[in-house]
Amino acid sequence: MEADLGFLIGLFGHTLTFWWVIIPTIFLGLVVGAIPGFSAANTIIILLPLTLAMDVEVGLIFMVSLYCSSRMGAGIPAILVNIPGTAGAAATPLDGYPMTKQGRSQQALSMSFVASAFGGLLTTILAIIAMPVLAEVGYYMHSVEMIVVMLFGISLIASIAARDMLKGLIAGFLGLMIGSIGTDVVYATPRGTMGFLELYDGVPLIPALVGLFAVSEAFIIIEKKSIVTDEGREIMAAPSWAATFEGAAIAFRHWWHITWNSIIGLIIGVIPGAGASIASFVAYQQSRTYSKTPHLYGTGHPEGLIAPESANNGVTSGTLIPLLILGIPGGATAAIMLIVLQYHGVNFGPSLFFDQPELAYGVFTAMAITYLLMIFTILPLSRYMSRVTLVSTTYMAPMIIAFTLVGSFVSREYMFDMYLGLVFGVIGYIARRTNYHVAAILIGVILGPLLETYFLRALKKSEGDLMVLFSSSLGNILWLVLIASLLMPMVLGFRRRRAVANTQAGT
Amino acid sequence: MTFSWKPTRREFLGGTAAVAGAAAVGVAPFASAFGASYPDRNLKVIIPTREGGGADRNFRAFSGIWKKYLKTKFEPRFYPGASGRVGYEVYMGKNEPDAYSLIFGNMGPELLNWVVKEPESFKVSDYLYFGRVDTDPGCVFVGRKSKFTSIDQIVAEAKKRTLTVGTSRMAHPASIGILYLGEKTGAKFNLIPLSGGKNTVAGAVTGEVDLSVLTSGTVAAKRKSVRTLLVFDDKNKLGERLDNAPTINDHFGTDLPPMLSSRAFGIHKAAVDKYPDRFAVLQATFKKVFTDPDFKAAVKKAKGNWEYINYGGVEECAAYSKSIMKIGARYKSLLSGKS
Repeated sequence: MEADLGFLIGLFGHTLTFWWVIIPTIFLGLVVGAIPGFSAANTIIILLPLTLAMDVEVGLIFMVSLYCSSRMGAGIPAILVNIPGTAGAAATPLDGYPMTKQGRSQQALSMSFVASAFGGLLTTILAIIAMPVLAEVGYYMHSVEMIVVMLFGISLIASIAARDMLKGLIAGFLGLMIGSIGTDVVYATPRGTMGFLELYDGVPLIPALVGLFAVSEAFIIIEKKSIVTDEGREIMAAPSWAATFEGAAIAFRHWWHITWNSIIGLIIGVIPGAGASIASFVAYQQSRTYSKTPHLYGTGHPEGLIAPESANNGVTSGTLIPLLILGIPGGATAAIMLIVLQYHGVNFGPSLFFDQPELAYGVFTAMAITYLLMIFTILPLSRYMSRVTLVSTTYMAPMIIAFTLVGSFVSREYMFDMYLGLVFGVIGYIARRTNYHVAAILIGVILGPLLETYFLRALKKSEGDLMVLFSSSLGNILWLVLIASLLMPMVLGFRRRRAVANTQAGT
Repeated sequence: MTFSWKPTRREFLGGTAAVAGAAAVGVAPFASAFGASYPDRNLKVIIPTREGGGADRNFRAFSGIWKKYLKTKFEPRFYPGASGRVGYEVYMGKNEPDAYSLIFGNMGPELLNWVVKEPESFKVSDYLYFGRVDTDPGCVFVGRKSKFTSIDQIVAEAKKRTLTVGTSRMAHPASIGILYLGEKTGAKFNLIPLSGGKNTVAGAVTGEVDLSVLTSGTVAAKRKSVRTLLVFDDKNKLGERLDNAPTINDHFGTDLPPMLSSRAFGIHKAAVDKYPDRFAVLQATFKKVFTDPDFKAAVKKAKGNWEYINYGGVEECAAYSKSIMKIGARYKSLLSGKS
């Protein structure tokens, strides 16, 4: 069936009549996204009896709305209290949390909401238009190409290391070493597990995330009165809507930034097995590389917040494309959605667009409406959410520790994960006190195992021949782009210094 | 008035015996009622794979009916990792052997795990499978866009160059099937573990690997994206849903036993020994599910293959375990990368 504009507009209007499902689900998604350890996938599982009992259309809209809003929700604690709700939001606090410390949390939240919603909305529209082309991406992105994509993300360590090369690299390698703990992907041989069964599946990401970011932060802030600096408290003393509008305006002024970072997210999302964590780091790295102000990244720079948030929301529509076109779920949430929809008798694959076009395209119209409604329902809340940061650290620090340790426990229900969260908290605290960057450790922990998986797979395919890394045309193009992106900051820096020198010589 | 009774030793022993007897008689109905009330709380089920996979789908369809007869609910817990080892270690090491926790595993791949590397903290005989739900043969398939349209083309090409074969894990009955095919025809195959059925299908569809092997039930569900070329069974029970692919023995004149994955419920051996009444309840109610028309409807609704549903009790599971471990031992070096 041809999806003409009239059909899509009609479907859009029809989906809008389900606002009574979408709006409550948005709030549910924000809550589950904001709680570390919870996600859209495990919420759908918990609510499976309800989802299965729903009419297929309502069930689908509910799942899609939950998926989108939980992605946005994960950014809220990342900005306010340095707790990324999921691995996909791990790059958000790099610039989001410094903004909070400066008393700009309301502005940061507003910026994040706009970037998420418009990034998500834009990629949803792109997904509808370019679905057949995007579905082809998976045919070209194999293990060799994915190694290069991973290296784009991991090269962020080098950017971080630029401030203090030795410490940055040590932190990055420590992260990579921690990331190699677990059984190997080929023969399932345990490595570095120290006999702990809980580490067989690798270092769990949530305890690592909350430990390195949140618990260590709690240890740090307990020594102060407030998360927010004195200057920041003065800024926040007189609450107004101005900061919300200002944040939204900044985000809109970076519309091009939102566009290309959300497209990065969309393309990475389409690749089976890749996901939001890769997309957000790659987007952050790319954004920094081509920025005119790379030195401001990590200090509360709007671009550093907009990039990961628009990318991880771009992933949402991307992961659903292989599910709809090939019947292959692109991620965990898509896999759960597959089960629910199959239970309702929905057959996935290209024929879905002919047999039940209202369902196939309905996924994207539901997504688009969710993002639109999120702007109106969530944006006003930024003013009130930001007040959380004014709570005294006497209460805030223990709450962060308790809250995040529970989050560590939730995803696998191991007491071990709570202890692990504390261990990572101590590692993070020591790293901060000695000026090692925790983000560099975390990048290694998150992307290291994925890089290893693709690397071992490529080597197994080539029976150990390293030249396989340069065996594909697309892979070779990506290698060149990677090298260019690594050299670009040096070239731009050199040109800037020369321009400054010329100006000074002229005066 | 005082009352005094000083029994002799014989009177005391006799009296004690009488009281004990009376107590036994009196309590017996309650004890029996207690046994009959099993289960009086939810049953926890450890599943050593991820949510959203074939085991999850199969479990939900089966447990949805079984709970009717067992009059309790099931709480699935998913423990993927290390090719299923984590789930088994959790089940054996962190769950009481009281018949209130079960494991729902895929007997084929998971027993092959123990052939490749024995479990460290328990013996394979410390648990037993008592309820087989299905028998799902492995198959060879390619993506719909693949240049290969028959198994003969694959074998001919694999005689010229080594073909890459995606598999959900090295130690898998379908992996043995393709290794056997290579052994019999002189074709060269290189197994590439892709971690799970979803990725194995994606590998074949996207061209990451030349072909893939997997349980045919999962492959049939993706038939619009893949083409099945060979089945490791005595008969292609799904016919058109598996593209009427031939069986290995018919096509190549070999005598490979069916390479089946078989999802089954297992229980601690200690629970069977300690609570035989509870185990009897589990066995009896488990069997009833297969004759319930609602089960067939649930399988169909979950897009499962009713042809593969195949009741098996303790004996059938034991026979299957023995045969898969025997053939696994033959290919141990290839599956563990030690050759």
